[in-house]
Amino acid sequence: MNKRKKRLKEYRFTTSMQKKLVILFGLVLLAFIGLSTRLILINKDSGEQYKKQVLAQQEYDSRTIPYKRGDIVDAKGTPIAMSEKVYNLILDNKLILEKEDYLEPTLAALFQCFDLDEGAIRTYVTQNPSAQYYVAAKKLTYEEIAPFLELQNDVENNPNIKGVWFEEEYQRIYPYDSLACDVIGFTGKDNVGSYGLEEYYNDILNGTNGREYGYLNDDSTLERTTKAATDGNTIATSLDVNIQSIVEKHILAFNEAHRDEAREGAGSSNTGVIIMDPNSGEILAMASYPVFNLNDTKNLSSIYTQEAIDAMDDDAKFEALNAIWKNFCITSTYEPGSTAKPFTVAAALESGKITGNETYYCEGHMDIGGHTIHCHNRLGDGLLTVKQGIEKSCNVVLMNVGLTLGIDTFMKYQSIFNFGLKTNVDLAGEARTDSLIFDPNTMVPTDLAVSSFGQGYNVTMIQQATAFCSLINGGYYYAPHVVNKILAPDGSTVKNIEPRILKQSISESTSDLIKDFCNGVVIEGTGVTARPAGYTMGGKTGTAEKVPRGTGNYVVSFMGYVPAEDPQVLIYVVIDEPNVEAQDNARYATILTRDIMTEVLPYLNIYQTQELTEDEIEEMKQKEELAAQSVSENSISGNEVNESVSGNAANQNTEGESGETGDSTQAEEETQSEEKEIQIDPETGYAIDPVTGEFLDPQTGAPIDPTASNLE
Amino acid sequence: MAGGTRRRKQPEYFFDYTLLFVVLFLLGFGLIMIYSTSSYESSLEYNDPAYYFKKQAFSSVLGLVVMIVVSRIPYHFWERFAFPAYFISMILIVLVMTPLGRESHGARRWLYLGMSVQPAEIAKLSMILFLASLVCRMGKSIKSSKGFLTILSVPLPICAMVYLITDNLSSAIIIFGIAFLMLFVASPDYKKFMLLIVAVVGAATLAVYTILQLSESGKLGFRGERILAWLDPEAYASGKGFQTLQALYAIGSGGIFGKGIGQSMQKLGFLPEAQNDMIFSIICEELGLFGAIAVIMLFVLLIWRFMIIANNAADLFGALLVVGVLGHFAIQVILNIAVVTNTLPNTGISLPFISYGGTSVLFLLVEIGLVLSVARGIKFKDVS
Repeated sequence: MNKRKKRLKEYRFTTSMQKKLVILFGLVLLAFIGLSTRLILINKDSGEQYKKQVLAQQEYDSRTIPYKRGDIVDAKGTPIAMSEKVYNLILDNKLILEKEDYLEPTLAALFQCFDLDEGAIRTYVTQNPSAQYYVAAKKLTYEEIAPFLELQNDVENNPNIKGVWFEEEYQRIYPYDSLACDVIGFTGKDNVGSYGLEEYYNDILNGTNGREYGYLNDDSTLERTTKAATDGNTIATSLDVNIQSIVEKHILAFNEAHRDEAREGAGSSNTGVIIMDPNSGEILAMASYPVFNLNDTKNLSSIYTQEAIDAMDDDAKFEALNAIWKNFCITSTYEPGSTAKPFTVAAALESGKITGNETYYCEGHMDIGGHTIHCHNRLGDGLLTVKQGIEKSCNVVLMNVGLTLGIDTFMKYQSIFNFGLKTNVDLAGEARTDSLIFDPNTMVPTDLAVSSFGQGYNVTMIQQATAFCSLINGGYYYAPHVVNKILAPDGSTVKNIEPRILKQSISESTSDLIKDFCNGVVIEGTGVTARPAGYTMGGKTGTAEKVPRGTGNYVVSFMGYVPAEDPQVLIYVVIDEPNVEAQDNARYATILTRDIMTEVLPYLNIYQTQELTEDEIEEMKQKEELAAQSVSENSISGNEVNESVSGNAANQNTEGESGETGDSTQAEEETQSEEKEIQIDPETGYAIDPVTGEFLDPQTGAPIDPTASNLE
Repeated sequence: MAGGTRRRKQPEYFFDYTLLFVVLFLLGFGLIMIYSTSSYESSLEYNDPAYYFKKQAFSSVLGLVVMIVVSRIPYHFWERFAFPAYFISMILIVLVMTPLGRESHGARRWLYLGMSVQPAEIAKLSMILFLASLVCRMGKSIKSSKGFLTILSVPLPICAMVYLITDNLSSAIIIFGIAFLMLFVASPDYKKFMLLIVAVVGAATLAVYTILQLSESGKLGFRGERILAWLDPEAYASGKGFQTLQALYAIGSGGIFGKGIGQSMQKLGFLPEAQNDMIFSIICEELGLFGAIAVIMLFVLLIWRFMIIANNAADLFGALLVVGVLGHFAIQVILNIAVVTNTLPNTGISLPFISYGGTSVLFLLVEIGLVLSVARGIKFKDVS
């Protein structure tokens, strides 16, 4: 022990070692000086650049707070489109895999709370360890995510659930699925509305996204601020869910009843119905067929078979979708047919060209400009007053009135009634019709003649309905509209959209005359079957042959109003190519009108004023008992009527006429009466529509004459 | 054993308070910086902004206790463990491969013995002890070439093991560096060292040149890429150069007086694990050049105290122990700052007392305890 110590002491830390240690210290000092210089140089040379770099790479972003798109509510405040907050389940694999302890508890909690594909999620998480944004589930409701949040927030018992968060989003929901689908439209990604109200009021419905962001304050410290989202406004419409449901129910029933009858497919190519308040232009219901589910807009299976869908390529599919998405009532144009007759007469009365007391003789046809244009009753109706002309829908009477009007006046009134112009209804997708009416400069008398009874030019349903409102409400042309109020998210009113009178189309006295004529149509003319039991009604039927002529395709329609004396509600029904053997029968439209109005009128608190006949009481009872089947019964009787008229061969003479429809021949046919109801209307001479052919009804003209004179 | 001497001459012994205060200050400063740099990340990860701070504070307190105990034990007590320590440190390194080993950040460098320990840190301490003892035993033969080569070859097996088994090049370099510096002080020779340094620098230059050539032709290991990132960090901004570049941004954006303590932006997720090797760059960002150079001055002061103690040590063994510790501190501080300023390629070397690391601070304090123990051996009359 002592020895070793001694030996160690022998080797002292010598002076040379001390010297070397000092040298070492000197070298270390040099190194430090070198490094300090380096620090100073970095600051001097790149300090400014690096300062900016540091600020530049800060994340100021960052999070967008989504706004809530406004609701669409009906007249009673019932939401028909609304936005609901939903949550996307996001996985951050990097965080989940950060510690081995995290993976299993996190996955266990996920699978316990959500219906996920266990294998797929596990594989994805373990194989993409750096992925930080994986959407595992979309559009979950709060109720669905609540159990997981509970687990996740219970940090004491579940400290290892990591890397899962929820992204907020709003989902557009249509509580009534397909109801009013064409009017409402739908909303795609990023709250972009397509079609209908969703598109037209897109900017009003949308709000402004909020933002949570960071910024650098004066001291260059990062601060965070939240700017809340501004939710979109709600639009209150004049649509009524109940009326809309009634309308759609009957449209569906009609189309189902005639499914596959004459050809394969639904009961019509399309069926459109508009119900309006004639005294404000508000649209109470607007529907067409076929419909689609607003919550599943890409689904064609309601119209096509699965095989047909599979056979479509992308273009065909897109076309098919566009066809069902568009709103027939404002987008499709067609020749209005005889529903145009009241307008021609109104124009002639208003311009003073006729007084309404004139009589015209119908011999079944009229020769104009080298063409022979036939009346549907080829044997002629005989001597008719203007009112009878309307009631019987006599083309010859209307051609005479039209020729009296002259091309210029006729076209002036087309413009007054807004034909060829947009109505600017507050729905997206209204068709332009400016090129679908005649040009007065190239119009020839034949064009004028066919135009007088609604062939040769095209209209949209909304144009026709809106203009008809002005005919029967004293001449006030109201802007048609669906929305009457815009509400802030808190419920306060932002804007009231009052009914707007755009112009006075005709005088009140002319309006009264037109109403009288149209009332006659339902009392003793072509529209008797349209009247709902217990009510008075006025209106006009229409049966227009489609282009190309001669193929037997027709648009049948009825526009009417209740009550007859003081119209409170207007209905316009258009059936495009009813799926029946003989399509040229307006009775399909009148029956549909009656079915709809029978239910709608009591709902609108419009009371019956007429005594019910025993038949009607019987019928009401039956309807109550067999609510569902009654519709098909009616339509069956309609079929039988069909065979009678047969005017569809009415196209003999046609050469180039100007205007859209090229060879617009004599195409208008009216179902002259309804065999079964004939007994109810003793006045009408139309009783004897033959089953066999047009020649068998010679005596119709004469007996009616005396009744016609009542008018004066 | 020394009792008689003490009583016979002077009862008063030297205690280096300057050294103690510098160490305490560095420890305290280190804890503050660890809290500042790690609170953002640890609050995100552990929901506790003081997570790293608490762990480091615990290690520091434990280290201080051990330091005081060691400083009370006459350093010759440890001489008998010199040889066993050398082999024990080897065994511990091998143990990393057994289930006792722990992996962290993709490297297997830790042993779990009640607490996580890095065998490389133990190897550094045992190398100092072993070499000090060996040089004393060799006596005059250290002057011969054989002695020179013997001392130089002693650390090689451990360096190789540290590098190969724990994949820790920086620790291997430090261990070899400690041996080199101790030999430099103990040997009266100069030429050999000059030659050695020239050879190393030459070899390094050649290596860098080769890597540059290789990078144009084909694939490189991660160390090769580190060299490339060192030469042009901006070109590797999203990969190997990311950390270095972010550290440079931090240094450069600090200015003269910095953004103020706690105000670093780079620590907010841009400089990953800022509390570890790159902590010096955050010091630069928050306290500026002024703070950074003040820290460097503290280390200079520390090393100066080591030099004074070594030069006045009672015997060669004590002096060499202090020289070893001096070498250890000097190498780590210089390499760390060199890496942070991109003066040298990026390799993981922590800044003594300031970087986060429990084993590191514990063994550094043991070394300080040894130095204090050597200082206690200095008699006042010798000093004066």
